[in-house]
Amino acid sequence: MASGEIFFEHERWGRNLAWSAGLHVGVTLAIFLYAVVARGGTGSNWGAGGGGSAMGVTLVSTVPLPANPIDTKSVLATESKGLSQSKPQEHVEEPDAIPIAQKNAKKRPVPQPTATQRKPQQPVQEANNVVPYGEGGQASGPYSMFSAGGAKGGIAFSGGGGDFGSRFAWYVRALNQKISENWLRYEVDPRIQSANRVYLTFDVDRSGRPSHVEVEQSSGVPSLDISAVRAIQRIDNFGPLPAEYPGNKVSVEFWFDYTKR
Amino acid sequence: MNLGLDRNTIYPATHMWRRFSYFFFAIFFCFAIAPNLLAQDWIKSGTGLGVERIRIAVPEFKAANQDPRNSELLRTFNDTLWNDLTNAGIFEMVSKSFYPLGQIGAPSDVKFDTWGQTPVNAAMLVFGNLGASGNNVVVQGWLEDVKNPNSPPVLAKQYTDNATTQQARVIAHKFADEIIFRLGGGINGIAETQIYYVSTRSGHKEIWAMDYDGANQHPVTTLGTISLSPHVSPDGSRLAFSSFNGSAWEIRMFSFDLNRMVSFPRYGRTNLSPSWAPDGTRLAFSSSRSGTPEIYAVDQSGGNLHRLTNSGTTNVSPTWNRKTGSEIAWVSRHGDLPKIFTMSADGTNVQQLTDQGYAVSPSWSPNGQFLVFSWMRHYGPGAPGSQDIYLMDVTNKQWVQLTHDGGRNDFPCWSPDNRHIVFQSNRSGSLQIWSMLADGSNQKQLTTSGTNSEPDWSWK
Repeated sequence: MASGEIFFEHERWGRNLAWSAGLHVGVTLAIFLYAVVARGGTGSNWGAGGGGSAMGVTLVSTVPLPANPIDTKSVLATESKGLSQSKPQEHVEEPDAIPIAQKNAKKRPVPQPTATQRKPQQPVQEANNVVPYGEGGQASGPYSMFSAGGAKGGIAFSGGGGDFGSRFAWYVRALNQKISENWLRYEVDPRIQSANRVYLTFDVDRSGRPSHVEVEQSSGVPSLDISAVRAIQRIDNFGPLPAEYPGNKVSVEFWFDYTKR
Repeated sequence: MNLGLDRNTIYPATHMWRRFSYFFFAIFFCFAIAPNLLAQDWIKSGTGLGVERIRIAVPEFKAANQDPRNSELLRTFNDTLWNDLTNAGIFEMVSKSFYPLGQIGAPSDVKFDTWGQTPVNAAMLVFGNLGASGNNVVVQGWLEDVKNPNSPPVLAKQYTDNATTQQARVIAHKFADEIIFRLGGGINGIAETQIYYVSTRSGHKEIWAMDYDGANQHPVTTLGTISLSPHVSPDGSRLAFSSFNGSAWEIRMFSFDLNRMVSFPRYGRTNLSPSWAPDGTRLAFSSSRSGTPEIYAVDQSGGNLHRLTNSGTTNVSPTWNRKTGSEIAWVSRHGDLPKIFTMSADGTNVQQLTDQGYAVSPSWSPNGQFLVFSWMRHYGPGAPGSQDIYLMDVTNKQWVQLTHDGGRNDFPCWSPDNRHIVFQSNRSGSLQIWSMLADGSNQKQLTTSGTNSEPDWSWK
């Protein structure tokens, strides 16, 4: 009996110890692995405020996160468009950003619609921006839009304060105008009939000077890409940012459409 | 851009460790969002081809009080403002017949609906009020974005000056320039600029000056001899020109600060067509002091003379690259006819721009990209013989013909905003000064009395 009790007790201790040890090891491993994975990649980068290069942008579309900036873009763009029509509805859409942040796992499925519809959606949204502006009347100059010779361009805003486009639409318009003036179509290879849209990014500092001109997405036509970059480089100054604007600079994503007349 | 980097790292993490995805995601999300909140604004925009003009409505300014002088001042002010904005070349002026009834004197009077929709359909609205009281006139002006009623103000200005029509004009010019500066992409307007030119209306060829729109014409020099090729310094303080002193053509200098002639060295023989470098420290001109006319450069005081060309033929009409100051275009006889060449400011790297015909009077654009010049492309017996203004892209030598109306058009000169060109033409029967937009449109005659030639547009 006594020995039986002893054996019995032994067995109980062993199990508990094993469980305990196992769990400890598990937790430690988990922490360790997390540390390796998480730190190895970003530890140094998180602190770096503005240093990011444009490289990451391409990957964005596969990850749920980018949905926020992209959504904000279109919402804000439609916001300014809405001014002439009906903004309230579009404002309602904005809160999308918050739900995504709270419940990631449940919202995971959300990318499904993204996968199928997102790509079509984005262009459509831009087109929407374009159309409503012009709807005010034929000749009215939309801040977002240029069209001539069968080609057009569009506009949207996003980012920190996010209200630059709606508050200073006139500045964006002047910027559009200036870039258009400086884009020389004869620099594009004359054999090209039409090309994909080329996206550039650049910064405009407080004094209005453009800098950091980069091709974000090539059109596949080198001469068109170059002509677009030159259009920006040719510009010394867009005029000082509005005095009421608190930021030090504005980042611009600008696209060019080319269709031969 | 921060977002991009963060996302890169999330990507593998979430896939490899799905069980921890909640945890990871929450943490990463916090870090990913944080920089975004701090980031500056983003503009996303684009363009196709072509440039669209801004549709702008400019209703008459309202009288701010009952002063009897207001009507006269308002007429001058309204006309000047309207003309300045029309001439700017970047606006489509909405015809006044479309405007809703009722005057607008202050922002509270504006009904954005009526201005933003057809038939007015303006993108921008300029309005304000003017009132004389005592010796002064006070003008309040606003520029508002009609299409953006949530945040319409673009510009609000108040001006006070003497209650004269002349000052009303000046105020209108200033306000127009402010509007053009805001909406024109940071390029200063030209409403306050001057044009210098040669006029015979006093009996001699003297240097005259006028506002950019042809108003306020008045003589600068009264030398009683022949004065030609005026060129004002970049800071507007001095005017260089060449003048005949009875035996030789010399470079002369007029100071606007002192309002009199100032001394400048004499180089002997024929010295013509002075041209200022954009930094105002040097002057290029053509001199035949060593025999054939060659291009020389000197300091602003006339010292430190350097010869830049040595071709043994005729070299005249230098003009500096107004953006860089590192190149000079000029006219050189090549074969039997004058042609346009460029060289570095030290005389090296000579390149020929025109290959045929008779090309003279180059003027380099303020952005450094273009030359305008006068060209008889087909010259000789049987050729039509019309002399027209052409614009050439300096880098690729592509050119565009700007005038087509016959007559002889010569001495083109750029405006400082890079959007206008002033030139002389005899198409009206006598030699007069004309201006146009740099695409050749909107040609206007600025002078009518006497003969007027060789215009030079001030730098600011």
